[in-house]
Amino acid sequence: MGSARGDALVSQGAFTFAHGVDPSTGVVTDVRSDVRGMNVKGKILFYPFGKGSTTASSWFLETVRLGNNPVAVVTEAVDLSAVIGSVMARVVYGKEIPVISGVPRTAYSALKSGDKIFLDAERGEVRAER
Amino acid sequence: MYLDPFQEKTLRGELGEAKQFAMEIVSKVGDAVGADELVPIKSAHVLAHYSSLHDAGVEVLERFANSGGRFAVPTSVDPASIDLQNWKSFGVPEDYARQQFRLCDAYARMGGMRCWTCVQYQVCNFPKEGDVVAWAESSAVVFANSILGSRSNKITAGMDIACAVLGLTPRFGMLLDENRQARISFKLVLKGLTDLDYRSIGFFVGRNAGARVPSLTGLPSSVTSDQIKHLGAGAAAAGPVTMIHFPGITPGSKRMVEASGGERVEEMEITRSSLNDIESDLNQTSEFPDLVAFGVPHLSVNELGELAKLLDGRRLKKGVKMYAYTSSQSYDMAERAGISATIERTGARISHSTDAEISPLKALGFNTVLTNSAKLAEIVSSEGEIRVGYATQKEIIERVTS
Repeated sequence: MGSARGDALVSQGAFTFAHGVDPSTGVVTDVRSDVRGMNVKGKILFYPFGKGSTTASSWFLETVRLGNNPVAVVTEAVDLSAVIGSVMARVVYGKEIPVISGVPRTAYSALKSGDKIFLDAERGEVRAER
Repeated sequence: MYLDPFQEKTLRGELGEAKQFAMEIVSKVGDAVGADELVPIKSAHVLAHYSSLHDAGVEVLERFANSGGRFAVPTSVDPASIDLQNWKSFGVPEDYARQQFRLCDAYARMGGMRCWTCVQYQVCNFPKEGDVVAWAESSAVVFANSILGSRSNKITAGMDIACAVLGLTPRFGMLLDENRQARISFKLVLKGLTDLDYRSIGFFVGRNAGARVPSLTGLPSSVTSDQIKHLGAGAAAAGPVTMIHFPGITPGSKRMVEASGGERVEEMEITRSSLNDIESDLNQTSEFPDLVAFGVPHLSVNELGELAKLLDGRRLKKGVKMYAYTSSQSYDMAERAGISATIERTGARISHSTDAEISPLKALGFNTVLTNSAKLAEIVSSEGEIRVGYATQKEIIERVTS
């Protein structure tokens, strides 16, 4: 659970950490991602749903081990990889990385990468701070 | 999520450290996804390859094994990141192999089946209709839900081991009837499908279904389970798809009305031009490759036989390697049937217990890969380091052999 504050990183399309984020830097490498070249480190990461390999939670966990993880994740459909990655981060490395699911794309379509976000997973609240 | 008294005890650590660790993971994930309770599973399929688990995954698996963790149900495992028998001759660096063998050792100590394949349902792990399982490997989950009629969520790394240790999984998602109904219907309106078309159809479905369960009609009655395996893998690589209703094939979905539970759903046609778009997206280079990879997911022994027929009498051109990836079991069968000898005479090799998308291709010196696998093309290009070409098996063989 917990809360987080950070800059938004907003992916409009399906997103995956597996082969799509370099854990040693946090940079998005996926050529099909609209946020390719951006860095997830310290960000509040928005995407509609995940895709691909079930290994994504371990890629996520490796970014945590190396300190290059996003501080929170917000999705439309439940992305089990992010949920499990977040749980493992807490159990294995004692780090809280809140994940909120069920936020429709339309609710954040006006957001731009770089906007300041406050997020409280306990209350299911995601707020842009202008 | 409700835990019964026994499960509460497990969480408190009264059944040992490994089960406590597993219950901590499973109960927290269950809470996060809104599951109501834990249900027993008939089998598990887990991940233990170094390229994706990284050092964090080695820590996690060893923590389970060292604290006495043992699998409570029959458990199979996805391919390793190296050919476990012939890794030296494939040029795998020693320190890389060492990390993989740490994972192999921890997995073996936990009592898993040493199948090292992503097509466990063709080799050693066969749930029946209605069975609840906890499987990792996105392509296998699609096969389990769509063809076997078993029920699995796409269980990702870490959670897979936890479910296998407990023999339990949270009830949510694809375990529930209401989430298994088709909410978008794809109709194939073209004939004369190539091997590549099956992969591209899957990719198109995966890309356009989004988080909705799709159905697909219009496949020829000649369609094989191998072709569906590749179609499902393409779909899962492109999006969050965990099930495709194939009316007439999928258990419980004789007709479209059963697939969708009688609801009207959005319809989308798949035409030749839809597939052309997918091909031009996945085919990022026409350069001469330094690696041709077949078998993501693993080829069956029948597919190895077909490949041998296509290769028979040909010779691989200079500067290119050709690997066909398969399970250890199919590798043995191919060897006994003389299939391996035919394939190897051309200069190609069969690699088992590993697969291309999870092996360290860059470290093995490959910069340009040519494949008929949409899944491999997607993954390799995602990493952004290796250029990838996407073409039919026949076309590839014509290009790289003489």
